[in-house]
Amino acid sequence: MAVSVDYVARETAANLWRNRLMTVAAVLTVGVSLSLVGASLLLRQGVAHATTQWADNVDVLVWVQPQASTPQLHSVEQQLHQLPFVRTCIYRSQAYDLNEAKHLLTPPEYQVLTVDTMPSSLRCQLDNPSEALAIARQFGGYPGVKSVAVPTKAIHNIQEVSGILQKVFFALALILLLSASVLILNTIRLAIFARRREVSVMKLVGATNWFIRVPFMCEGVVQGVLGALFASLAVFSLHLVLDSYSNVKTGNIWYQMQMPLGEVVVTSLVVVAIGVVIGSAGSYLGIRRFLDA
Amino acid sequence: MIRFENVTKTYKAGSVALRDLTVEIDKGEFVFLVGPSGSGKTTFIRLLLREEDPGSGRIWVAGREIGHLSQWRVPYLRRNIGCVFQDFRLLPNKSVFENVAFALEVIGRPKHVIAAQVPQVLDLVGLSKKRESLPGELSGGEQQRVAVARAFVNRPLVLLADEPTGNLDPATSQGIMRLLDRINRTGTTVVIATHDASMVDQMRRRVIELDHGTLVRDQARGVYGYGT
Repeated sequence: MAVSVDYVARETAANLWRNRLMTVAAVLTVGVSLSLVGASLLLRQGVAHATTQWADNVDVLVWVQPQASTPQLHSVEQQLHQLPFVRTCIYRSQAYDLNEAKHLLTPPEYQVLTVDTMPSSLRCQLDNPSEALAIARQFGGYPGVKSVAVPTKAIHNIQEVSGILQKVFFALALILLLSASVLILNTIRLAIFARRREVSVMKLVGATNWFIRVPFMCEGVVQGVLGALFASLAVFSLHLVLDSYSNVKTGNIWYQMQMPLGEVVVTSLVVVAIGVVIGSAGSYLGIRRFLDA
Repeated sequence: MIRFENVTKTYKAGSVALRDLTVEIDKGEFVFLVGPSGSGKTTFIRLLLREEDPGSGRIWVAGREIGHLSQWRVPYLRRNIGCVFQDFRLLPNKSVFENVAFALEVIGRPKHVIAAQVPQVLDLVGLSKKRESLPGELSGGEQQRVAVARAFVNRPLVLLADEPTGNLDPATSQGIMRLLDRINRTGTTVVIATHDASMVDQMRRRVIELDHGTLVRDQARGVYGYGT
């Protein structure tokens, strides 16, 4: 049977207005729950993003002694290039390294450094970061090599921590999603309970179940969407806050977690879609017991 | 129009509401359903509305067996049956006009049909002047008239009334009965479950008496009790 758009719009608006306190409560609950869901998703993406950055920049740093001769340097460089799992190796001069140190260290620390005392470096990217230890073993005592820095353990820790964080955020998001659905379901159930006379009269005069259901479901969807918009706003705010904390110069964790606006928009759309789904599903379940006579 | 064939209805607790009931009501009849409380009158009405599933036996309404009607067809059955209750069941926040219009609205009737039919039926029940009143502002008799108007506005084949005068004084009850009689004259089959002896005696219509779910009397121009 055709349910007229006019009727549904009128009923939905009237119901929302009549139960405005409940509506506000539902919207806020959904909003808060979905904000947390969105924040979890965003942070989860951020952590994934940061790990990717770290993993991509994995370098084996071969520090070359400042007083090493040119043939020694060439020999090291050549042998590194011959290794099958070494993707690229870039030579950084003493001047470059000193400049970098100025960014990474505090003034009293880098002021004692000079170009002459600064080691130059060979920075290698590997096909498989786990091979880094082999390089350390091979070049550790090599003539002209000061030391080999292998961030393997640090990387491993980061990946492990981020893996756990992602799981935790995902579980948190699922739990919050569930509680948001239950809250919508409960709100709709209360709304229907308040109008059970009306529903019973509708059934009495022969309204189809869908005719009764649709306005309530629209109500649930409107609440879900309003809550989701609220949540999207929160997600955007979180993004902006993270942005303001991020520091290009120090490359802190917030900077590492920074993500393109596109991903934030996608997250917001996901949040809105979830709002629609839990709004309609919650109200569908909420009204079920009143229809199955 | 209505036919019960060997209908037995047992509730989960084990109490038997109707016991092997066979009865037929023709189109356009006016029937009183009488009997003490718990005799099965209300079950009779609930079965017709498919608010209950019959245990065994078969029930026909307007040539259709309703016992095995699939759930989604039940609303369409109810559109052919108007129903009035002791407690009126009006929506307190809707006006008289809106209450009656609601019955047409929820079955998807277009606005111009509603605009034409509602005033007509309000005129029939004598409430044209109170169309903007809320149920709370009306007397019991007037509220029941609104309920009758709502039950009849869709021109159903059958009008069921479960104790329609149970909450009303005798003079007001008489008015409601006259109204139901008038509706019956339009060709609508009317079935009234009642305790109201004076009403039954006065109307002298067909009386079906139930006792403990069994048909004990079916009299063409009957009265409420035996031998009165």
